[in-house]
Amino acid sequence: MLNAIRWAVFALAAFAMNFPLIVTLVTSFKSAREISTNPGLWINAPTLENYATVLTVSDRLNIFLYLANSFAVAAMGTLLAVALALPAAYAIVRGRFGEKTLLPLIVNLRAVPLVIFAIPIYMMFQFMGLLDTRLGLGLVMTIVNIPLVLIILVNAISDVPFELDEAAMIDGVSRTGILFKIVGPVCRPALVTSMIFGFITAWNEFLFGLMLTTSKAVPVTVGASFFFAASGGGVQWGVAAAVMMVGALPPMLLGLFMYRKISGTMMAGAVKG
Amino acid sequence: METTHRLEWTLLATPLMVFLLVCLGFPAIVNLIYSVSDISFETLRNPEISGFGNFVAVLTDSGFWRANWFSLRFGLLTAILECLIGLGLAVFLAPLFKDRSWPIAILMLPLMVAPALMGLMYRLVLHEFAGPVPHYLWAWFGNSPAFLGPNSAFWTLAVVETLQWTPFAFLLFHMAYQAIPEELREAASIDGVMGLARFWRIELPLMLPTLAAALLIRFIDGFRVFDNVYVLTGSGAGGSTTSLSIYIYEAFFKQAAIGKAVAASVILFAASFAVLYGLNRLARRRRR
Repeated sequence: MLNAIRWAVFALAAFAMNFPLIVTLVTSFKSAREISTNPGLWINAPTLENYATVLTVSDRLNIFLYLANSFAVAAMGTLLAVALALPAAYAIVRGRFGEKTLLPLIVNLRAVPLVIFAIPIYMMFQFMGLLDTRLGLGLVMTIVNIPLVLIILVNAISDVPFELDEAAMIDGVSRTGILFKIVGPVCRPALVTSMIFGFITAWNEFLFGLMLTTSKAVPVTVGASFFFAASGGGVQWGVAAAVMMVGALPPMLLGLFMYRKISGTMMAGAVKG
Repeated sequence: METTHRLEWTLLATPLMVFLLVCLGFPAIVNLIYSVSDISFETLRNPEISGFGNFVAVLTDSGFWRANWFSLRFGLLTAILECLIGLGLAVFLAPLFKDRSWPIAILMLPLMVAPALMGLMYRLVLHEFAGPVPHYLWAWFGNSPAFLGPNSAFWTLAVVETLQWTPFAFLLFHMAYQAIPEELREAASIDGVMGLARFWRIELPLMLPTLAAALLIRFIDGFRVFDNVYVLTGSGAGGSTTSLSIYIYEAFFKQAAIGKAVAASVILFAASFAVLYGLNRLARRRRR
């Protein structure tokens, strides 16, 4: 009996939390006429026309460009963050380098509202010609990702037994060699999770995408809103719903497949940081 | 020997330090200089130091204080709601997750959606003609409130934020709950401590560090909120939903009030570092 109540509570919570996703999914399969006559959760005549509209490239609206931008920027922001953080994490853990200043400073960065840096970064990018480029946005995503990636990697390297390093040192392997041949491979699970995490974070970022891009490098979180006023007149809700689904799907799929890893990582980042 | 090691470690950490110095240190300095300069889009390249006029302008701007008040209220309210609901769900539903994990995946799904897209989705959900919520409210009760009007926008946004991020708090509490050793619960039930008493006296105290961490993280994220608020109300509803992040963004991009925007950033910067520094010291003292 108590378990039945539990299931009911679970169903209610799951429904409430996922409600906007359900609504958007349902709406994306309705024709414009059906949305205006039947805004409820039931679809009478499912159609794919909204997705066809979204995937049609026009001068003003190019979903493939937005997706490619998001992908490129998230990939760069993730790989660069890991490439910079891994050697630093190794030095922090094994060499106790910057344990007292560098690490807390970067960890605190996770909690600082990044809008603080928005204006000078905008100006810096303007001088350097990085506004509206994937490179520029990718660099910003690297900044966004570094704190959590560093925490994850510091935790992971702390868990690697020091005997592994010692054995390699006796064999005459250099520090860098140990990092790339021994510690790195042992930490592969943490590397993978930090990358998935960073990718989702960067894909979902909005503020810098809004500020630093106008047309060429627009990510999908910003581009999605362009579809809201697609054809003059009122909002085409079916089309808007379809583009939101397309933009939200990649991180959702990653999250669904990897949720076990991700939840462990969130815990590590939240409590040990 | 010792010094060569030191050099090796420094070299390994150098790329990260240089990157952060260029990408954040330089902007931070630019921020500081601009904040005490008479700055406009024409004088960006050679700002003239002119004193603390920008700070005076910000601190005497009622909009700035209103944004602070919004962020503070929003951060506190949503953090508390998220943690209460998340904790309740994690503890009450714990038996469901014992040998299956798909329910957790379903609850986690909102965390994967970009807050900006989530905000856009709620624009659809709450839309007076196309949205299901007003549709059903009209059908069942013959009435539907203006969710994003000046009077209710704050509460609507708080609910939206809470629904998206309660799963985060839930997840932390779920992990903390699973980490409580089974022997403790058995020992408690042998001593006759069961049900709610067991929760209050044994489980909750053990989860207090997680509760503190979850509250802090959610407060910080709520305080600096931008994405979903910006796409849902565009700070609108008569400025009643301007968070501090939106205030800075709009001062710069919409009003071209660069000095004000920069001064507000510097104040926020100083405040966040002061708070974080204090918290870190507290945490370190605790650990000893």
